[in-house]
Amino acid sequence: MSSYLLSRLFQTVVTLFVMSVLVFVGLYMVGNPVDVLLSPMATPAERLEIIRAFGLDRPVWEQYLVFVSNALQGDLGNSFIFNQPARHLILQRLPATLELAFTALAMGLVLGIPLGIWAGLKPDSFASKSVMAFSILGFSLPTFWIGLVMIMVFSVQLGWLPASGRGDTVDLFGVPVSFLSLDGWSHLLLPAFNLALFKISLIIRLTRAGVMEVMQLDFVRFARAKGISEKRILRVHVLKNTLIPLITVIGLELGSLIAFAVVTETIFAWPGMGKLIIDAISVLDRPVILAYLMITVVMFSVINLLVDILYSIVDPRVRFEGGSR
Amino acid sequence: MTAPILSISGLTTAFKVDSEWRDVVRDVSFSIAARETVAVVGESGSGKSVTAMSIMRLLGPNARSTGNIEFEGHDLLSLPAKEMQAIRGNRIGMIFQEPMTSLNPVLKIGDQITEVLMQHKGLNHTAAMTEAARLLDKVRIPSAKARLNEYPMSFSGGMRQRVVIAIALACEPRLLIADEPTTALDVTIQAQILELIKTLQREEGMSVLFITHDMGVVAEISDRTVVMYRGEVVETDTTKHIFRDAAHPYTRALLSAVPQLGSMIGEPRPLRFPIVDMATGEVQPVPRTADTVRMDAEPILKVDKLVTRFPVRKGILRRTVGNIHAVEDVSFALRAGETLSLVGESGCGKSTTGRSIIRLTDMTSGTVEIGGRNVARAGKGELADIRRNAQMIFQDPYESLNPRIRIGDAIAEPMIAHGLLNGAQARQRVGSLLEQVGLSPSMADRFPHEFSGGQRQRVCIARALALDPKLIVADEAVSALDVSIKAQVINLMLDLQEQLGLGYLFISHDMAVVERISHRVAVMYMGEIVEIGPRHAVFENPAHAYTRKLMAAVPIADPERRRVRHISNDEIRSPYHNAGYLPSEHFYREVGEQHFVLVDSLETAA
Repeated sequence: MSSYLLSRLFQTVVTLFVMSVLVFVGLYMVGNPVDVLLSPMATPAERLEIIRAFGLDRPVWEQYLVFVSNALQGDLGNSFIFNQPARHLILQRLPATLELAFTALAMGLVLGIPLGIWAGLKPDSFASKSVMAFSILGFSLPTFWIGLVMIMVFSVQLGWLPASGRGDTVDLFGVPVSFLSLDGWSHLLLPAFNLALFKISLIIRLTRAGVMEVMQLDFVRFARAKGISEKRILRVHVLKNTLIPLITVIGLELGSLIAFAVVTETIFAWPGMGKLIIDAISVLDRPVILAYLMITVVMFSVINLLVDILYSIVDPRVRFEGGSR
Repeated sequence: MTAPILSISGLTTAFKVDSEWRDVVRDVSFSIAARETVAVVGESGSGKSVTAMSIMRLLGPNARSTGNIEFEGHDLLSLPAKEMQAIRGNRIGMIFQEPMTSLNPVLKIGDQITEVLMQHKGLNHTAAMTEAARLLDKVRIPSAKARLNEYPMSFSGGMRQRVVIAIALACEPRLLIADEPTTALDVTIQAQILELIKTLQREEGMSVLFITHDMGVVAEISDRTVVMYRGEVVETDTTKHIFRDAAHPYTRALLSAVPQLGSMIGEPRPLRFPIVDMATGEVQPVPRTADTVRMDAEPILKVDKLVTRFPVRKGILRRTVGNIHAVEDVSFALRAGETLSLVGESGCGKSTTGRSIIRLTDMTSGTVEIGGRNVARAGKGELADIRRNAQMIFQDPYESLNPRIRIGDAIAEPMIAHGLLNGAQARQRVGSLLEQVGLSPSMADRFPHEFSGGQRQRVCIARALALDPKLIVADEAVSALDVSIKAQVINLMLDLQEQLGLGYLFISHDMAVVERISHRVAVMYMGEIVEIGPRHAVFENPAHAYTRKLMAAVPIADPERRRVRHISNDEIRSPYHNAGYLPSEHFYREVGEQHFVLVDSLETAA
């Protein structure tokens, strides 16, 4: 186990390294942030001073080394715009994004798995076909468009839910969260569902395919021959086997939910990391972009590790692989 | 005779195919008395499994059964679903063919046994666990209690089948339905499981409905036999009577196609199977085989000290921690016109030997010469040249033909790839090859799915013959075929050997088939040849303990020759050794003319 963890850690470090090099070189080629930041009226002297202050006068490899040595001490640099530590900026926005992502994930699981099982058990029924049609819509309609339509319908025309912002937050262990207040929920519902729609569709399809496949397997037939009730066959025999492929995908999707909530956050003016990163990119605020990507990579790695651990709990065959003979 | 436990009358089961009901089983009637074992025997598509599934009502919603199935005073077909569920696994136990897939891979063995006990007997979990341990003990699984907490993957195939039997018998059913329970198992394991079922039947006093395609197993286990053919029962009688004096032509045809171990005593050469007309039951005489072995010429295949090992790697650095010694110091030679069989159980290295010979798998050391040319050292071009002389036929005719390529093109492919013939010539040759394997030249334009399993194997043989090889490596080439088809394909192989002087390296686990087809036999165990010699010598005077064990395990298709066997519960051992393991040198003792047996390392030490 420890050698496994070590190799995972090593992989993460390599990914971080490659990522930081790519971003550094990429941003260096895209353009000079000073041109964006500075007003056209600035004098050449002011300009030079800013460049020196940001350390942009040094060669790119030197800038990179400075970044790495600072990063190793936990300092990801100051934002060019806000003149605050980038890490601080990101961590400030992280809870909002996490809350949105996990709510969306929960919606995906709570709606997706039961609907998927239902569709898998009765693949020819009308209800099952409607569920599948819904999932195709969820897949194919662009998120931003659905978001806009949802705002149109639920906020503008019906006036049931607010169109933007995060509403009242309650501090939970010092972290502001929305899901403990009614107002918070009313703000959370639309963006979370918007973000979840694609995941719901995906989970429905995966669960359905899994259930249909597992129902055909010999051990299900044998369980029937044992006289086990259909309920138990489904709950114990089928579900556990269906979960195995689902866990991998859900893990990956959780990562992408967190990282790519950008669109939803922008539409619903949700004060999360996504919005921050969009702003940072538009002004080439390199420290923020870098910090964001670094944190995302670490988060992805941690999630993947958790998925693998979860996987080995559900599937004993994984646990024994590479074990003693 | 006592009143029957189960009596089936007029059972017809139909499946819905494209909104049309098609009968798969028609008007089946038979009954099983208390403590009786009834075998239902038939080839694939005979409806024997569907009959079993109909009794248990396990066929899905696109199947319907009519007729009458009487069990303990209930008509199973009209029973409400809830009551049927209370019979399944409780009054009637059922086991299936594939022990590897019958158990849920992600549930502990204990849970899979206790759920039956909790469902039917209302035991609580603790009581059920105690009972489960007793059941595992009963099916002779060592250290039963500890193994309840393990998952199916840590059990071998034979052990899994024991667990499945334990589950099926958990509630002391009156009837056990066994659907091909030993087909997927090795022959020594099969013998263990058959013996177990017999013993448990005696202990529990239950009846057994045994479904199989294997006449040997039928003769071994059943009191009465029901023969099914294309969805109908063609004959029902006592097993002894059926084997001695079958009434129906199909039964006779089936029986004549079954190779019997020990039936070749005194025969100098391989023997064709007699062909029986399925409609009339008439036996057509078959010509005896000619003496095809070319003793005068150099052997076409020489294998000397062949070793093939597969490294097992672990850890981040993928260090080799051990090796699977798949083939260990194997030497033999094969002459033109000769059939040498490699026989053994799964994992014994027989297939790896075959693959190493034509370098589909790279050998670790040793030399292989085909037609005087060294295979191991051949470059790419020379290897292609060598392979023209040595072709391979595989077990599964469904998977060894590309479903999207017309069979004519599949047969022509090697000729064109080797640049031997142009398109038109190749077409002509394909036609004559198809004729040679007993198909018609007009079939060249068809796709593989339009052929039956036996026909496909003929196509594979035609493809192997396309390059005029001297040697054919047949890896379990007839194992997947039905009995009657198997007999035909073996006859074809013998015909071709006569016409073309082919040398066959015949790889098989089936002792009876091997006895029928071989000139010489090599028995393999754990990667080694433990005994090699002329067929009659190995079969009539087996010198190695393993050969004797293997032969004792083969079910004999003759109820008069039923033996009392003492079967050990040994598992098949794994040829895995840690890195750095050096196998001891192999010495063979000559026990007869050209008949060699491996000297055990203990013996050499003494």
